Amino acid sequence: MISRVADHCFWLGRYLERTETTARLLSVTRNLSFDGNLTPLQCWLPVLIVSGEEPRFVERFGIETASEGEAVERDMTWSDDNPASLRRSVNAARENARSIREVISLEVWEAINELYLWTNGRAGQSEYGADRHGFYRHVRLSCQLVSGLLRSTMLHEPPLNFIRFGKLLERVGQTSRVVDVHHHALTLVEKSHKVVETALWLALLRACSGFEPFMKRSQGRVTGDAVADFLVFEPLFPKSVVYGVHAAYSRFARIRPPAERDLPGGVTLERLRALDAWLARSAAARSPEGMHDLLTHVVDETSGICDTVGREMFGYETATESAQ
Amino acid sequence: MSENVSTLFDGYRAPEGTWDELFEGPGLPRHDVRQAVESLGTTTAEAFVRCQSLAELALLNQGVTFSVYADERGTEKIFPFDLVPRILSARDWSNLVKGLKQRVRALGMFLDDVYGEQRIMAEGVIPRELVLGAKHFLPALSGVRPAGDVRVHIAGIDLIRDGDGTFRVLEDNVRTPSGVSYVLENRLVTKKVFPQLFEKARVQPVDHYPARLAEALRSVSPRDPETSTVVVLTPGPYNSAYFEHSFLARTMGLELVQAPDLFVDDDTVFIRTTRGPRRVDVIYRRTDEAFLDPEVFRPDSLLGVRGLIRAWRAGNVTLANAPGNGVADDKAIYAFVPDMIRFYLSEEALLQQVRTLVCYRDADRREVLDHLGEMVVKAVDESGGYGMLMGPQASAAEREEFRRRIEADPRKYIAQPLIELSTCPTWDKETKRMEPRRVDLRPYVLTSRSGPWVLPGGLTRVALRAGSYVVNSSQGGGSKDTWVLKGAA
Repeated sequence: MISRVADHCFWLGRYLERTETTARLLSVTRNLSFDGNLTPLQCWLPVLIVSGEEPRFVERFGIETASEGEAVERDMTWSDDNPASLRRSVNAARENARSIREVISLEVWEAINELYLWTNGRAGQSEYGADRHGFYRHVRLSCQLVSGLLRSTMLHEPPLNFIRFGKLLERVGQTSRVVDVHHHALTLVEKSHKVVETALWLALLRACSGFEPFMKRSQGRVTGDAVADFLVFEPLFPKSVVYGVHAAYSRFARIRPPAERDLPGGVTLERLRALDAWLARSAAARSPEGMHDLLTHVVDETSGICDTVGREMFGYETATESAQ
Repeated sequence: MSENVSTLFDGYRAPEGTWDELFEGPGLPRHDVRQAVESLGTTTAEAFVRCQSLAELALLNQGVTFSVYADERGTEKIFPFDLVPRILSARDWSNLVKGLKQRVRALGMFLDDVYGEQRIMAEGVIPRELVLGAKHFLPALSGVRPAGDVRVHIAGIDLIRDGDGTFRVLEDNVRTPSGVSYVLENRLVTKKVFPQLFEKARVQPVDHYPARLAEALRSVSPRDPETSTVVVLTPGPYNSAYFEHSFLARTMGLELVQAPDLFVDDDTVFIRTTRGPRRVDVIYRRTDEAFLDPEVFRPDSLLGVRGLIRAWRAGNVTLANAPGNGVADDKAIYAFVPDMIRFYLSEEALLQQVRTLVCYRDADRREVLDHLGEMVVKAVDESGGYGMLMGPQASAAEREEFRRRIEADPRKYIAQPLIELSTCPTWDKETKRMEPRRVDLRPYVLTSRSGPWVLPGGLTRVALRAGSYVVNSSQGGGSKDTWVLKGAA
């Protein structure tokens, strides 16, 4: 497989995942803000922090604007200055797809292109004004359609493996950040405020589409530690950190089999293996106090793996060059 | 017959002195295509407009677009598509096919000769200076015999139809002719929106083009065709024809590469992959030859694949089309194609062309200068309507300017009489009715090791503006599906 094409596949996967997660996060946060249990700032600031956009947003609009849902939503949906905005993620996914149209199936391309045309056209903008949840839902469903079409209309060979690999690494980073930020957000809440705390954790579950899976595991008992534990360590929940890391490792082992030592990708494979093993050990000795350090390590290591695979397989000269 | 043709074509009338592709006279479809025209005619205007917008939406969603400005991101437009097909009878088509094959064969032999012994010049059939002076003649490539022995793997021969309905070659494209993806996409859309009509008309299929192209490319590989690696080379997503490059790669199941994906080692071409280098045997290149190899064409350029021409010369890779082909589609050389056919094949040309005066020849030049007001003067190495004088419409000052230019550099100019292009009914969104609009036709000829093959039909381009003769997409042109009807069963 051509290195440049692999790079585009990888980033297509990442942007598709990012688009879906952002749409879900905005939709869930909007819901949460209507409950009135939390201050607007408690609702919306974490959204900016998770996407890494807090410093830019605060400098541009001021911290008080971070409590205006409309302003945060507008920025996180439409802004061209915000590299994490929905529009930019959709456009970047489409741009990567357009560069490898002959690699993805026609149905995948059409679904991505239609999402791009809808988001950038009148239809998407009027939906945003008329029915905000309908808007986020449309984006989310489009991404899910693409995911399904990827699996069902493409050969299960390297291009698809790179797309899935990109999606998995993006998801690991996203889940880790979102859990970590909510941990942080809870420090802003008075400890005794049980209702508020529960509302936040339930929102977090919904943002990771983990509400029902969690309830099945916990039989309705909602505590912060249990939710964080579930989102990080549940081995059978596809959005959990351990699931994502393990799946990324096995996916990459299909691209670069451990036995084929002469092929490029050996360092990436080893880093993934090490992270997977480290998480398994950490799961045995876990504690709520260690959560922040654990998540920080996962986030750092994930971004390090992205750079390594870029240098080993996509032909990046430096850590910063890529199809993004 | 007129009572059968209701609603859609009511009041349709082609201009005097012009051949109309579908109608012999008002309300009177041409005999060979009557059935198809009559069934299309029973469509109501409302239904037609609905189908037309469905078709446009389908093209947009599929991203069947071209970039308007190559350097400005995000300006993609669909190539305007008119749903009324251009219909050719089986008889007309089979005559064209014979002529096209003959012509492409002769052009290939001419190129072999020009880059080999140069017999046609030695025997005085074409003036030596005319060939050597052609802008796209590349003396550096002399003596190369390309692997697979084919130079014009893909040709696009532009045809027009004069007032009597005679097809004439307007120009040859033997470098990197484009547009075939629209032929295939237009057909898909037509079948989607007019399924019954299409089925009744018995139209020859076009969807095997990618398979035939892949087969032709593989057949000229320097190594075993079965195990050869064939790739499509594109300048990238910002090229105006990127859609077509990716379309062809996708439909042939080949990899689409850009120059930085390739490198040459020991006169052999390799592709950079996630599993290390892999050898490449055939490159269908859709890049301009000036950007193929900086070693040969632009020493100062960073674009291209360094050493590619050395690998080609060594016979280790096939380039389709071969570099250097531009000398054969030079507008002055065009005038000599019938002579070429006689010289190489001992046959008379089966296809007419447009009478062409070559200003390089004294007698021709005198005639041109005496009749500037009646002629179309063209610079031999320009295209897309640039460097042209439309004699009848030009001012006295413009004519004087061209007289001066022709006298200063006669090699650079040819002149032709103004030809009426044929018309075809075309939906006009302003007047909301069918109007006659000018069309041309670009058939595609593929040449494999075993000889030429012609795709049934080709690209019909249409000038969407009233009275216009310009069919280029950059200047308000659109396209139509081209139907070649099957012969009597």
